[in-house]
Amino acid sequence: MARITVDPVTRIEGHLRIDVEVTGGSVQKSWASGQMWRGIEVILQGRDPRDAWLFTQRFCGVCTTVHAITSVRAVENALDLEVPLNAQYIRNLILIAHAMHDHIVHFYHLSALDWVDITSALRADPVATSRLAESLSPWPYNSVQAMRATKAKLESIVASGQLGIFANGYWGHPAMKLPPEVNLLAVNHYLQALEYQRKANQIVTILGSKTPNIQNLAVGGVVNAINLDNQATLNMTKLYQIKDLFDEVLAFVQQVYIPDILAVGSLYPEWLGYGAGVKNYLAVPDLPLDTAGTQFDLPGGTIMNGDVSSVKPISRFGDEYFRDSIEESIAHSWYDGDWSRHPYEEETVPNYTDFQDDGKYSWVKSPRFNGEPMQVGPLSQVLVGYAQGHELTVKWVDAALGELRSRTGVNVGVGHVQSTLGRHAARALRCAIIGDLALKHWGLLVNNIGSGDTDIFNAPVFPKGEQRGFGFHEAPRGALSHWVVLENGKIRNYQAVVPTTWNASPRDASGKIGPYEASLLGNPVADAEKPLEVLRTVHSFDPCLACAIHTLDVEGNEIAKVRAL
Amino acid sequence: MPAVTVFGLGNILMSDDGLGPYVIKVLEAGYEFPPEVEVLDAGTPGLELSTILEDSGALIIVDTVRSDSAPGQVKTYRRDDILKHPPAQRITPHDPGLKETLLVLELQGETPPEVFVVGVVPASVEYGVGLSDDVRAAVPAAVAAIVDELARLGYAASPRDPPAEPEIWWERGP
Repeated sequence: MARITVDPVTRIEGHLRIDVEVTGGSVQKSWASGQMWRGIEVILQGRDPRDAWLFTQRFCGVCTTVHAITSVRAVENALDLEVPLNAQYIRNLILIAHAMHDHIVHFYHLSALDWVDITSALRADPVATSRLAESLSPWPYNSVQAMRATKAKLESIVASGQLGIFANGYWGHPAMKLPPEVNLLAVNHYLQALEYQRKANQIVTILGSKTPNIQNLAVGGVVNAINLDNQATLNMTKLYQIKDLFDEVLAFVQQVYIPDILAVGSLYPEWLGYGAGVKNYLAVPDLPLDTAGTQFDLPGGTIMNGDVSSVKPISRFGDEYFRDSIEESIAHSWYDGDWSRHPYEEETVPNYTDFQDDGKYSWVKSPRFNGEPMQVGPLSQVLVGYAQGHELTVKWVDAALGELRSRTGVNVGVGHVQSTLGRHAARALRCAIIGDLALKHWGLLVNNIGSGDTDIFNAPVFPKGEQRGFGFHEAPRGALSHWVVLENGKIRNYQAVVPTTWNASPRDASGKIGPYEASLLGNPVADAEKPLEVLRTVHSFDPCLACAIHTLDVEGNEIAKVRAL
Repeated sequence: MPAVTVFGLGNILMSDDGLGPYVIKVLEAGYEFPPEVEVLDAGTPGLELSTILEDSGALIIVDTVRSDSAPGQVKTYRRDDILKHPPAQRITPHDPGLKETLLVLELQGETPPEVFVVGVVPASVEYGVGLSDDVRAAVPAAVAAIVDELARLGYAASPRDPPAEPEIWWERGP
């Protein structure tokens, strides 16, 4: 038996630590641990609820927008405050643009190199690479010249003796299986993706007036003044700029991201069989179509035990099924006590001990839904949509499954999507689905403005006494919820139950393991010193943990600690 | 495209890690900048940083730095200091920091040639709003280092007379 610890030390404080015990070449036991306290909510106590979103969007530098929007939704829910249609559409467009940016970055820049071998790309033939690309997609930027340029760039990096951004990869690892041409194509698309993630982010900047940390929100709506004849406000020029950017990013998703996922997927079919883990799925509805949040363009709900026929919808802001089913356990988390409580009733009192395999071992709490661990993220959202017959989801999923079946000869079904590779595929499909919906919501906004409605804000009124509310958002990493208790117009309690808390949760009071932990069981590990397969499965969730510190390390020479005992 | 972008990195909710945004607010209150200069509180972005980095001729960054030196020490670095060590293993979307983003842009041949980092060694990066005394005392020196670098690059800032009150909204009590 070998024990492997993957413990990144990339910033002053720790992030995510993964421990696995490997016997006979596969993982038999696993622990996921958040190495930094997430007690940020305490800072909000006593503050003005109208300012909460300014603070919550600083929870995390990658997820700024999502914490901002979820916070205003929570306060609006506590006040029973509807927001004007224009505000819903503008928020929706920001959410979609942010998510498309985030998904593209996640696949190409944060996880593709788990599957793509840079050193193998050096052996590729640019002509064959271009020909292969043109057989997969009509994308116009896959020319022989482009592939030659990418290969030359890689050669110059290797010749310089330093791999630059590609240092510290597991190059030449036995689990790397793509042919050289596919590797070169992927490196070329890694570079192209940099441009398209920026275009998606530009949309957030236009509507949010600044990124990171948008400025245009308010409890009750948005502050984007609408006047089609005024240069300084939201006008037709800006609206068309936004549409052009969405068109470009969506084309990239449809013609590059999805074909790449299918190409990689069909060459690693065994990874459709690893990494399922917890097969309970939770997604919240998003992209509201009305002022109160009772109709949505992305469906939410739960699926238990991987059985799509068990789907139960979550259908509106303030949904009771969602509200009443959630508790967080601290049985194995570094907090004082051993309780399971509803987010409204929680307190955050840290009590650090050592890493105890059978005791407390994480700063992450264990959220549970009617007592069960749940997986959240694009896979959950896609499965919940598919189970409810959501038209766009069914269209994209069926097309992808058909393509995988014809390429692999395996009868790929919805069951195979519940896997490490399935999480990547679902993220790409979700990106295409929300891209289609971006164009729809852009049209809804333009038509609504065209009908003469320029309302953007309903002023909040804070009554005396106590109000409770929660807001949710189907964020890039899955179901995010903020829970707020107001008292006499001030915040008395605030809790954020974030997607990575669901997925990275440690064991709970009854010993049930969390989604990361469950997904690692049975994973192969070819080389304990280089646990690439562990990273593949963990990365497929798109972990976003500690979320906070940005101390620059100039003097150090640090890499993730991997200890194999 | 701005000729120079001055940006602060860090988290205002993590005590001394909020140094970068704090210095930006003090700069904005104390100086007026030529139109070619953009001044920005960037928070703690991951690869989103590439948008800022790519769209600028030169960069001046203010951030806390990990160092064995005493808290409150101001240390400055140039481009090659930052790039000389390899990047870390990727685990989460936060791992692409400044170094990684510069390396990715270098791959595209788009890194700004002038990169200047003004770093302050933190005393505490615990949860909480507000700088430690050591780090707060270093703010004038950090501001001066940025102003000097702007002058060196040919885009001198002019002091406001009288200076405005810095808008440190996060330090206003609940």
